[in-house]
Amino acid sequence: MKPLETLATESTCKMKIKHQLSIFNALTRLLIIVVLWFVLPMLIQNVVYKHINKSLLEKKQKFIQHLDKEEINDYIVGNDSSDTYASYSMLHNSFLQLSRLPENQVMKKTAFVNEPRIIEDETNEYRILQYAFVYEDSKYLLEIGSSLNEIKDLTFIIKAFIIILFGVVIILTFIVDTFYIEYLLKPFYKIINTKIRNANDPDSFDYTPVASHTADFEELDTVLNQMMKRIGEVFKNEKQFIANVSHELMTPISLLKNRLENLLQNESLDDNAVDKIAASLRTLDMLKKIINNLLLISKIENNQYAANEKVAVADVIRDLIIDLEDRFEEKNITLFNKASTDFEFTANQTLIHILLYNLIVNAIKYNHIGGSIAILDGIEDRNYFIEISDSGIGMNENQLLHIFERFSRISTDQDGQGLGLAIVHTIANFHNIIILVTSKAETGTTFKLLFPSELK
Amino acid sequence: MNILIVEDHPELAQEIVDYLSKNGYLCKWAKDCETALEELSVNSFDAMLLDLGLPDGSGFDVLKGIRKKQSDIAVVIITARGELDDRINGLQLGADDYLTKPFALTELGARLQAIIRRMHGFAANVLDIHGFKLQLQDYKVSFNENPIALTKKEFDIFRYLALNKNRVITRLQLTEHIWGDILEINSDSNFIDVHVRNLRKKLDKFATLEWFETVRNVGYRINL
Repeated sequence: MKPLETLATESTCKMKIKHQLSIFNALTRLLIIVVLWFVLPMLIQNVVYKHINKSLLEKKQKFIQHLDKEEINDYIVGNDSSDTYASYSMLHNSFLQLSRLPENQVMKKTAFVNEPRIIEDETNEYRILQYAFVYEDSKYLLEIGSSLNEIKDLTFIIKAFIIILFGVVIILTFIVDTFYIEYLLKPFYKIINTKIRNANDPDSFDYTPVASHTADFEELDTVLNQMMKRIGEVFKNEKQFIANVSHELMTPISLLKNRLENLLQNESLDDNAVDKIAASLRTLDMLKKIINNLLLISKIENNQYAANEKVAVADVIRDLIIDLEDRFEEKNITLFNKASTDFEFTANQTLIHILLYNLIVNAIKYNHIGGSIAILDGIEDRNYFIEISDSGIGMNENQLLHIFERFSRISTDQDGQGLGLAIVHTIANFHNIIILVTSKAETGTTFKLLFPSELK
Repeated sequence: MNILIVEDHPELAQEIVDYLSKNGYLCKWAKDCETALEELSVNSFDAMLLDLGLPDGSGFDVLKGIRKKQSDIAVVIITARGELDDRINGLQLGADDYLTKPFALTELGARLQAIIRRMHGFAANVLDIHGFKLQLQDYKVSFNENPIALTKKEFDIFRYLALNKNRVITRLQLTEHIWGDILEINSDSNFIDVHVRNLRKKLDKFATLEWFETVRNVGYRINL
């Protein structure tokens, strides 16, 4: 019964339905056996006693029928001088005893009792019919007994038989139950494994019906398919919406951009007008990038990126450092790149590039002039990690709580619309990368990325 | 220089991307019409390689889509051998050149360069900017046969400003076409100034640069 205990005490370690059902069935059968164990002997006794009583009564009837004075005297006197006559069968399993009762003793006419009797120095339990009768003014007591030993043996045998039989039945049915339940539940697990577990987006969902002999599972399967179709519709609409947004918003933005850029070529513009146009172009560029960033987040969340490329993280970092060289120089930042672990994992190259780009650019952006950035990687608990630390302005605890939220800027006087880290967060989620951030105001920030272990 | 590669075969696309990236282009790959049109509306490209047979339609649809928007992108269509009608149709719809499969990557590079330069009104592969000779195909700049050692970024900036001669090019445009599609919002683009300053310093040793203008708060212009 240990599994049940663990079920009760450890809610985290739950049992499967097939085991629960099998155990429940076995337990109910066990309960029946226990009940039978107690009730059956009583029933048997009852039946047996009735039977014995009947035969004792018959014997008494036979005996009484032929009884006359002479016989009584024969029985009692002819035997010996006592007032009792007794006869018993050879194996002591029954006896008959006739005795004279004292005048003053009052007795019930017919009674059955269980009593031990000693016959030839052997004590046995007997079922005894006591019959008191008056014959020619004398009171007699007739006792006819039948041994209970056999009955006791019989009850014991029956009990043992029941135990063995039911033990076998329990084991057999438990095995059969387990297999049958498992067979019944097979479609259920198939639905879970083939349909739900691997369904990351409705496009890759397997709509083929799962064969089942159970109406419930067929229904579950149908309902799941219907649900997935609905979700698929929603996904499609959202993808369409994203495409529409990008198209409908970007087209006018590029149009405006072109127009403003052409306007800038006009020699007759005064400085004031040029400044205003340049500022408008910057605003337009910001608008474009915000939309691009939001679209990127939506697309990742919509699984519109495939994670099916082998990405060597240290290589991506190396490329990024070359690309960002001028940015390091601009702020006179010293870079210590110690990322050299040969680690490849299945991901989306573009997204990993963006993720690391955003982190490194952040480390530059929120750094002091002449500060430093350290990048190191390695294996920790069989998982690859990469750490990007800066000697920048850092964050307090309150700021740390909100860094991954969209449009939350670390400090208001810095540029950037606070989407960079939201994107980092989204990309990390998409690839099951865990981000750990530690930061101290005026000391610096460390971003640690824990990559999922590659089992393939 | 931003190039969009519209090609449904990933291997071929990757090959082109690798080759062009090595030659100083910033490449984006679109595998179908839908992605291509989306990319075109989101980013500004200098040129596009367009395969006509795409899984969700024809490259002609993409071509029609962009020409409607009076975009000045250079288009090279890629067709299978022998499809004469397609080539003519493509050129009529506004493509600038075509290549038949299979083609040599070097030919692709040369044609792309020629188209871009022609589009900007230069007849020869060597741009003459006030005595400075820009050799587009091999990344070299010289003045009176004296070679000038420029970094890749410096050359890119010089080339872009030279190709777009007599136009004010904003810092944002330069970032977009030389650093590529930076997602970072309000990247202050100051790092561009550093490169331009270095470039000017190197060129200044050979001749006066009054034609290389800094437009205050906005960007730069090369007058020719």
